[in-house]
Amino acid sequence: MKNLLFLLIIFFLYQQDSFALPSQDREVKIYKNIRCLACQGQTLNDSNSDFANDLKKVIKRKLDNNETDQQIYSYLTARYGDWILFNPPVKQSTLLLWFFPVFILVIGLLILYKRTVFGKSKLS
Amino acid sequence: MTSNIGLISLIISSILSLFILILFFKHVLFGGPLHSKFFALYNASFFLIAVSFVLLVISFVVSDFSIVAVYENSHTDKPFFYKFAGTWGNHEGSMLLFILIISLYGYLFLIFTKQLNFSLRFTTIFFQTSLQFVFLLFLILTSNPFEKIFPIPNQGLGLNPILQDPLLVLHPPFLYLGYVGFSLVFSLLLGGLVTNQYNQNWAGLAKRWIFLPWTFLTFGIGLGSFWAYYELGWGGYWFWDPVENASLMPWIASTALIHSVLVMDKTKKLFNWTAILTILTFVLSLFGTFLVRSGILNSVHAFANDPERGLYILFIISLITLSALVIYILKSAKQTGDENGFILFSREFSIVVNNYLLIFALTVVTIGTTYPILLSVFTEESISVGPQYYNTILAPFVFIFLILMGIGPYMKWNKNSFAINRNKLTSFVLSSLIVTALVSLILKNQNFIFILGVACSLFLIISVVYEFAYFKHIKLKQFNFARLFSHAGFGFLILAITLHYFFSKEFTTKIQLGETSSYQEFAIKFSNYFSKQGKNYQELIGEYEIQKNGEKVILKPSIRKYSHPQQFTSETSIRGEWLSDMYIAMDYTSDASSGIGIRFYYNYSIRLIWLSYILITIGGLLSFVQRKNEK
Repeated sequence: MKNLLFLLIIFFLYQQDSFALPSQDREVKIYKNIRCLACQGQTLNDSNSDFANDLKKVIKRKLDNNETDQQIYSYLTARYGDWILFNPPVKQSTLLLWFFPVFILVIGLLILYKRTVFGKSKLS
Repeated sequence: MTSNIGLISLIISSILSLFILILFFKHVLFGGPLHSKFFALYNASFFLIAVSFVLLVISFVVSDFSIVAVYENSHTDKPFFYKFAGTWGNHEGSMLLFILIISLYGYLFLIFTKQLNFSLRFTTIFFQTSLQFVFLLFLILTSNPFEKIFPIPNQGLGLNPILQDPLLVLHPPFLYLGYVGFSLVFSLLLGGLVTNQYNQNWAGLAKRWIFLPWTFLTFGIGLGSFWAYYELGWGGYWFWDPVENASLMPWIASTALIHSVLVMDKTKKLFNWTAILTILTFVLSLFGTFLVRSGILNSVHAFANDPERGLYILFIISLITLSALVIYILKSAKQTGDENGFILFSREFSIVVNNYLLIFALTVVTIGTTYPILLSVFTEESISVGPQYYNTILAPFVFIFLILMGIGPYMKWNKNSFAINRNKLTSFVLSSLIVTALVSLILKNQNFIFILGVACSLFLIISVVYEFAYFKHIKLKQFNFARLFSHAGFGFLILAITLHYFFSKEFTTKIQLGETSSYQEFAIKFSNYFSKQGKNYQELIGEYEIQKNGEKVILKPSIRKYSHPQQFTSETSIRGEWLSDMYIAMDYTSDASSGIGIRFYYNYSIRLIWLSYILITIGGLLSFVQRKNEK
């Protein structure tokens, strides 16, 4: 057990600055979250259609103007609706989408807890 | 002529099915022996459906354009292979295949269960016939595959070119053999409940009929994923597209079922839960068909954009679900197993936790798939639910799941067995951490999620390898190879997905002939292009030289212009490099002078993903090898 802890500590010390997701370009990350409205189910990143290229230019300009991701997304949803974002925003109409799984998780855990026999095996 | 015989066989088959249902009710309500030809009638109804299917295949192969389905989906220019596969590349043909498989499973059931209790046997066939009958009516009344057209056209409209692919010949039949196959265990459940034989023996019997379709479904999903990878040209292997999810939902439910039925078999527990999972698995399979066939979704699979048919299917699903639930509620109370709780750290406890996590995953996939549809129906608001939603919610639980998959099999039935395994598990943890540290050093990546993904999947893989390597006193025949292979396959799958996620590279650009475009360690030169004439398409092939660390590879993606129907497709060019792929797809362009857009992907360890699909499928197959210590 001590060895294990020791190893874990070494492990975490050695990789301090690494909790962030891969240093993907912010630009690509945004493109990947946007639906190419002129294509079938493709992301902006995967498409070279005129629509995608034009929209990429617009987004690039906004990035150069130091706008935040949130500003860019609200600009897009104001014009095209939430449909354009692959990652649905948390708001009133999507509450169930985000929190129903959590509800199932908690209910399941309660049932699991109730049906579990703790302590040493009572059969032996 | 063939079309008449085809339709007549379908009609006779449905009359026979109805007759079987009547014979059953006569026997149950008025007593007296069951008609001696009950099973023979069922087999006859199966053969008639098979005949009708073969006739439809022949009509497609010989391009009989007097049939609407052939006219709309075939063309004489099409290669033989795709004329053949075109049979199920349309709504009517695929529904006929659907029914053929329902019927086939009943036929197989009769062949392999000759020793089975008579009443359970014929009641199961009764339920299977009911399913077959309902869908036959649907087929004949709303989607007759042999409907005729007059005057007879000289030429057909052709098949969507994206479906003209060798894998299309295999993908739909396997997928159907999978999820339609769950109809049999569904009928077996209802049969067991009605005849009061839903007990431990039932679980032993049902196992095979869950493993069989599960194996097909696993393989079918794998094929679909591989097809999407090389045919769609988007570089990925899974897009969390609603159509993919439609096949994933019954897969998750049936995976939970495989495990819960084991608990029922060994410990007489989880009777109610297993019954519910059985119903859920089949209903989700039907629901998947509804999603794909109703035209609600816009995709290559949705050939029938006819809302009326969608309503019919929805009605049938509701009918089947309700009937099953009524039977379950009326009959299950008498047939309950051991109601005691689950002992912490026993084998059955770990399986219950497995089911808990699988149901959670199922909830996420189901709600993510249906929420946008429901929202647009009720509020006219449209949202998209993409990969980020699923990845964000599911990823943490996949890690926990891997650990549990490694620990669970070491636990003993009915006994808290944590203490006796403590040293073993500690050594698995240590060895997986050491290997992870090495991997992390070699690949120069210290991201926390990366390390977690690698460590957890290695933990599972090591626990499987240990079981295989160090249990020398066990004879080869006693190994549970089914579990070892499928669990190892899952470990490799998550390992491969983690590696792929962190080390893949992609970029899109537009290059002119002769130019070179560079990205990180890759330099791509558009060196040449030429055109070629295929059987039913013209092809523009581009030649790209890719330099990576001094090595040169040539890739030749292309754009095809199909003539019937007139449509463009982009064919990818892929070159493997050990487990990774270099991958290029070209964009359609009307004006090549301003350069052609390409998408370049370096897909790290993607071949390990295909390999793990194969391992999991092999695991399913090995469940049919009788183990020595097995009943």
